Amino acid sequence: MQNNDDIVWSIINKSFCSFKVNTKTQKFCRHEYNLTGLCGRYSCPLANSQYATIREEKGIIYLYMRTAERTAFPNKSWEKVKLSRNFEKALQQINENLLYWPNYLKQKCKQRMLKITQYLIRMRKLTLRRQKKLVPLQRKIERRENRREEKALIAARIDTAIEKQLVERLKKGVYGDIYNFPQVAFTKALASEEVQEESDDEREEEYNEGGREEEMEEETRAALEDATEYVEAESDDEDMESDEEHEFTDEGPEESEVEDIEDMARPSTSKGKKSKVSVEYELEEALPEKTKVKNRV
Amino acid sequence: MWPVAILSRCLWAHGLSPKWLKNMDHTLKHLKTAKMASALARPLITVYSEKNEKTGTSLHLPVVFKAPIRPDVVSFVHHQMSKNRRQPYAVNKDAGHQTSAESWGTGRAVARIPRVRGGGTHRSGQGAFGNMCRGGRMFAPTKTWRRWHRRINVNQRRFALVSSIAASGVPALVMSKGHMVHDIPELPLVVSDKVQSFNKTKQAVIFLRRIKAWTDVQKVYRSRRLRAGKGKMRNRRRVQRRGPLIIYGEDQGLKLAFRNIPGVDVCSVKKLSLLKLAPGGHVGRFIIWTESAFRALDAIYGTWSSPSSEKKDYNLPTPKMTNTDLSRLLKAEEIRKVLRTPHKRPVRAVRKQNPLRNVRAMLKLNPYAAVLKRKAILTIQKKHLDKQEFLAKKTGVPLQKTKQQVRYEQLIQKRKEAIQKSKAAKPKTAKKAKKAPAAK
Repeated sequence: MQNNDDIVWSIINKSFCSFKVNTKTQKFCRHEYNLTGLCGRYSCPLANSQYATIREEKGIIYLYMRTAERTAFPNKSWEKVKLSRNFEKALQQINENLLYWPNYLKQKCKQRMLKITQYLIRMRKLTLRRQKKLVPLQRKIERRENRREEKALIAARIDTAIEKQLVERLKKGVYGDIYNFPQVAFTKALASEEVQEESDDEREEEYNEGGREEEMEEETRAALEDATEYVEAESDDEDMESDEEHEFTDEGPEESEVEDIEDMARPSTSKGKKSKVSVEYELEEALPEKTKVKNRV
Repeated sequence: MWPVAILSRCLWAHGLSPKWLKNMDHTLKHLKTAKMASALARPLITVYSEKNEKTGTSLHLPVVFKAPIRPDVVSFVHHQMSKNRRQPYAVNKDAGHQTSAESWGTGRAVARIPRVRGGGTHRSGQGAFGNMCRGGRMFAPTKTWRRWHRRINVNQRRFALVSSIAASGVPALVMSKGHMVHDIPELPLVVSDKVQSFNKTKQAVIFLRRIKAWTDVQKVYRSRRLRAGKGKMRNRRRVQRRGPLIIYGEDQGLKLAFRNIPGVDVCSVKKLSLLKLAPGGHVGRFIIWTESAFRALDAIYGTWSSPSSEKKDYNLPTPKMTNTDLSRLLKAEEIRKVLRTPHKRPVRAVRKQNPLRNVRAMLKLNPYAAVLKRKAILTIQKKHLDKQEFLAKKTGVPLQKTKQQVRYEQLIQKRKEAIQKSKAAKPKTAKKAKKAPAAK
């Protein structure tokens, strides 16, 4: 039957073999009984009727042998010999089982057995250490969740909620007398607040939040303004005064709107410390939803 | 390279040309018959029941399985045969010509391609007729009278068929083709005739499972996929692998039982087709024979000693080499005995050296030339010295001593002194006294 080996090899090599994997540099053999893993004349299990391999199953190393007589009976062709766990003994076992076999097979079997024992040792060592569990991530899902997180963050409007809370607490008096406003400023603010409350009811309805905020902030703002005059002098003074005038004189909404726009243009500069509020809204008439812009600033 | 080719080359290198080989009939005939006997030994194949038990019967392997396996022939014949089922396609013969376009000629600052006549529509003035024009006819419009089918010589067809049957009996080739045959009891697999009377698919499936051919069918299931390319929209949407082929002697319902199992093909022994035995042009399909089919093979294809009874005038192809085990042949005593010793160190051509210019080349040819040359050189030297002597005498100018001369004289002097010293050192006996005057 060895007559067939050469023919088989010439067919497998030249035309098609389902186990052959071709790379740019090398030919591999995917046959599970292949001794070296490469596709070659003397390592091909199909092209050599007399063949031997070493394989391991569940940590036990076996020597598989096949002779020319048994090739016609595929389910009986491989003879399985369990090798000793002792490496030297296993080598001897190989030697005695493959006694008059070609040297190539003997050599490769021993090499393969060595490799297998080495990787088994490594496997055992690894299991003793902490095993990192690999968890695969699904890209699509991760991306979706991240985006949702961001959106939820924005939707929560944490900063405004915090503001609200703080202001509430301040009102309640949780902080007691922590903040030291100059008395004059404080009273002024209170006074202004009273006035504003009357005229700002409408406003409060339309603004989503921060009606109170505005008031409070106006108080503090007023205090701050008094305290830090040069800041006021730059931008706020005129506006403030004009605005106040507006408030008291009840001028037309148009003008105020115009002014508002102007004011809107410099929200950041107006407040030295509190940059949240876009200041000069104090317009009597209801304004279109500028709260969004305001909040962001 | 085929074993024959390799063998002839090896032998030629050893000084044995194939021609001469033919002449060595007496040794090789013996060799041939002996080897032929072993190579063509016909083993017994056991027949398996449909439950994968060995029945008592065993058959001789039909001689077809010893036929030469020639993948080149199979590939060629398959290629030709596969053309025979084609349906013609062509474009409409009028396509692109249903216009009365004419070229505007030169002088109009446009290309000279024929253009559509008339006006009032987009089409007017557009190019027509050419393969490069939009709406023109294609280059070389396809015709229905293209030669679609191919004829193949009967003998070639039979050769290919026989080769593929032989290849199906080699487990290595069947495995390399990709069939999952590692659990079947024997190859070639022969099953009892009971299988022929299956009429339910269930029975067929159970049978395949029992003889462990089901893994091959499972592989077919796993390989089901959509075709790549436009075939999808041309009624060739799905693709799958080929599974086992069942060859029967007589159909008693077997076809109905196996036809719904994906990948499984069914074939009568009397009507074997290369397209089924070597799908894709590659040898080594997994075949399950029924007993009657297996028995019929010898009659259908013949043995070398007796021609086929079913086919007129047909006998199996004779192989070019009966024993193809090249490594064994080259180590065989019978062959080695007849060869000359190998030339491990071949003699290479040596460059010719001119003896008139190269002294050693001259010496190789004529060793006496050395003597002559030396003589010549010495005579010249002597003459030269004589001349100098003569001149010295004539002119009265003493010759200068050469270095060698000086040293020679010094040496002599030293020796004399050394001798005298040694003599003076030794005690003067009577003998010595006698010798001393003699020496002086």
